[in-house]
Amino acid sequence: MVAASGTFIEWQAVRALLVLAGSLLALVVVPVALGDNGGFTPVEPASPNAEGIHRSWLFVSIFILFIFVLVETLLVLFVVRFRRRRRDRFEDGAQIHGATRLELLWTLFPVVILVAIGAFVFYELPGIANVPSAAAGDRLEVRVTGRQFYWQYEYPNGVIAIDKMRAPAGVPVRLEVVSPDDDVIHSWWIPALGGKIDAIPGTVNETWFEVDDPGVYTGQCAELCGLQHAQMLASVEVLPEAEFDSWLAERRTEQTAGTSELGQETWEGVCAKCHGLSGEGGIGRPLTGSPILQDAQALENVVRNGRRTMPAVGSGWTDEQMEALTNYLEESPPGGG
Amino acid sequence: MAVSPAPTPVPAWQRGRVTSWLVTTDHKRIGLLYIGTALFFFVLAGLMAMALRLQLAQANSDLIGPERYNELVTIHGTAMVFLVVVPILAGLGNYLLPLMLGARDVAFPRLNALSYWLFLLGGVVLMLSFFASGGAAQAGWTSYPPLSVEQAGTGQDLWILSLHILTASSLAGAINFIVTTHSMRTRGMTWTRMPLFVWSMYIFAWLLMAVLPTLSAGLTLLLLDRGISIGPWDIQTHFFAPAEGGAPVLYQHAFWFFGHPEVYVMALPAFGIVSEVIPVFARKPIFGYKAVAFSTVAIGFFSMLVWAHHMFTVGMPNALNGFFMVASMIIAVPTGVKIFNWLATLWRGNISFDTPMLFVLGFLSIFTIGGLSGIYLAAFPIDWQVHDTYFVVAHFHYVILGGSVFAIFGGLYYWWPKMFGKMLGETLGKWHFWLMFVGFNVTFFPQHLLGLDGMPRRIYTYSDESWEGYNLTSTIGSWVMGIAILLFFVNILRTSRTGLRVGNDPWQADTLEWYTTSPPPPHNFDDVPYVTSARPLYDLRRRLREQRGARTSL
Repeated sequence: MVAASGTFIEWQAVRALLVLAGSLLALVVVPVALGDNGGFTPVEPASPNAEGIHRSWLFVSIFILFIFVLVETLLVLFVVRFRRRRRDRFEDGAQIHGATRLELLWTLFPVVILVAIGAFVFYELPGIANVPSAAAGDRLEVRVTGRQFYWQYEYPNGVIAIDKMRAPAGVPVRLEVVSPDDDVIHSWWIPALGGKIDAIPGTVNETWFEVDDPGVYTGQCAELCGLQHAQMLASVEVLPEAEFDSWLAERRTEQTAGTSELGQETWEGVCAKCHGLSGEGGIGRPLTGSPILQDAQALENVVRNGRRTMPAVGSGWTDEQMEALTNYLEESPPGGG
Repeated sequence: MAVSPAPTPVPAWQRGRVTSWLVTTDHKRIGLLYIGTALFFFVLAGLMAMALRLQLAQANSDLIGPERYNELVTIHGTAMVFLVVVPILAGLGNYLLPLMLGARDVAFPRLNALSYWLFLLGGVVLMLSFFASGGAAQAGWTSYPPLSVEQAGTGQDLWILSLHILTASSLAGAINFIVTTHSMRTRGMTWTRMPLFVWSMYIFAWLLMAVLPTLSAGLTLLLLDRGISIGPWDIQTHFFAPAEGGAPVLYQHAFWFFGHPEVYVMALPAFGIVSEVIPVFARKPIFGYKAVAFSTVAIGFFSMLVWAHHMFTVGMPNALNGFFMVASMIIAVPTGVKIFNWLATLWRGNISFDTPMLFVLGFLSIFTIGGLSGIYLAAFPIDWQVHDTYFVVAHFHYVILGGSVFAIFGGLYYWWPKMFGKMLGETLGKWHFWLMFVGFNVTFFPQHLLGLDGMPRRIYTYSDESWEGYNLTSTIGSWVMGIAILLFFVNILRTSRTGLRVGNDPWQADTLEWYTTSPPPPHNFDDVPYVTSARPLYDLRRRLREQRGARTSL
């Protein structure tokens, strides 16, 4: 048995500990150094609520790192210092049964840390959870609907967009996040713009963001919602306020005239995720050359009611949105058709 | 104790090599059946995980389609919880509880056999559901409605059926553990002289009793929402359908009221194993026996008050979020007490690094990380950021795989000589440990970073190529772990052929199971010493030493 080889074991223990310490260190340091994402912190925040979460993360990290280093150091230290060496395998260690004061100390010490963490979270909470109470005119309201497997945005003037949201810079944007009664749970999440909030059938949830720097911020659905959960991508393009205003007004006019990009957005966001960008098929059957694409009535029937395994992706769409899709398919049939 | 009565004669057909296992009511055989079956499911569910990792190794991979991926995600998670970790702990508990208590068997041996066969049935139903029409369940191990109500085919129904069977099995086992602990302790074994592993199995059992009925209720409502036909009646309810006034979130409450304590069902017995192994390999008594035992009770109690920390993103009022944050943080206190007591047990010890101890030390270093990442998740605004991402996947694998499963392997190496009379090979054992330890960290540490960078869990593919490096690293790690597990089975085979017989008590341990032969006879003990402390065998050895005037061990 192992007891026989005294010195061998000792060296093995030391070597093993070096491997252990080295691999742990490498595992923490190397990815953080190589990572282009800021390493062991959440995505670089671009909105005050995300900043509040980021600060909370950093504050908690101070204590986490402290306890991590404390426990792992004591563990390695004790294991090295009190290894057997030349002692008999079954020789007693110190027969200590406990120490009440120490017990009290390491019961109370975590309590203090947890109180500090809890207090800081509640201190940051209003800045994270509360939508800035700007006068209603200065705030943009967007209704976000999670559906299998796309995001639909509705602006106050009736403009509809799919998957790609446009938002004005420097203006608080309040989001009402919902999912239709006949759909499933999704979760709205753009990491740089704050935490996620679930889109639950029968419930209206809210979240918000306010971004100063124009740019594109991406995210995706964070709650398993079915086969194409992985393709349920979302993005927010933040435009300078004036540019956004003119986009919204222009889109309004185009949408009425049936010339907006909504048709293409719908094809790409709603249909193509299962049927392929040029209708080549995938999870859904191939649509290239399918007569249904040119038959507005049949298409509407399928889109609004679903068929077999296909969900009713277009239940509740306005006629305007339905026409946008049929017009688009008529003008530029996918795959050249 | 009196010499046990002569065994009642059993019919010849029940004495065959196979039939004797089929009809057995011996807690040791049932324990081994549990462990063996759970290890078999461990291999299946582990292979599923390796397949999932293979799919994620590259961006835009189409190795496994979304349908098969969702099936594997669902069954991997369900199987690892219900068919691997819980039953393997139940198996160890079955084997060890009567031996540690100095008892002849568990309180209800036939119920015990029923509990095992139900477990096997539930496992077979779950695995065969891959062949159901429409394939296996695809809504994740949590199976939230409406998604789980919507799924066509019978896979989801079989998933519910399987969990109902497993619940019945667990309840039968739990009743047995509780009654055995209350009524079968040998002379002198007061509550504060019970081995800490028994304490942990006792709380394990109470937790199952307390929370499994809630799961059963939730699953039954889910089944009714999906619709059932009994004779001429078609029943379809709408508990979770908002169009009819139902609430999908109700299911989440039912599920997590069970689901969070379930984490401790998997963790507490692992803590118990650690509390048995450390003292033996440090040659010390556990530091603060009462603190460790009481913290087990405290964790069990508080674990029932934290369930909604899995639901911080459903839009609860922040007052409720705050309550569940504070309750979750409170659990960190008794957990910290355990960690510090284990560390203090190492202090001034005489530490040997045999494989059981290596696994337990590995547990300590990994579980600490899993516990600490849980603090981030308890702080609910931070959870809004990392919830349902790979950060959470990393967190719970640090707790369950790096925590519980490492401790379980430690326990298997530790009690193997008791169960089979032979020691598992040390060289292969050490290879197993080191490959597992490195493989584990390589697999799961990068997943923290993926989650922080925005990668959600349960996606079958991703197009962001900056995630590829971490994902590939993670996949490589999972295959290193696969090799480690393979070595474990090679070790078992080699030990069964050529392993050395090592006597009744190779570790010079402290608890009663080491007093009897290895393996123990069907009736466990010819006699049981009067128990004077939590370390009856240590007391015996000391008395013998004093009588002989000898300096060292027997």
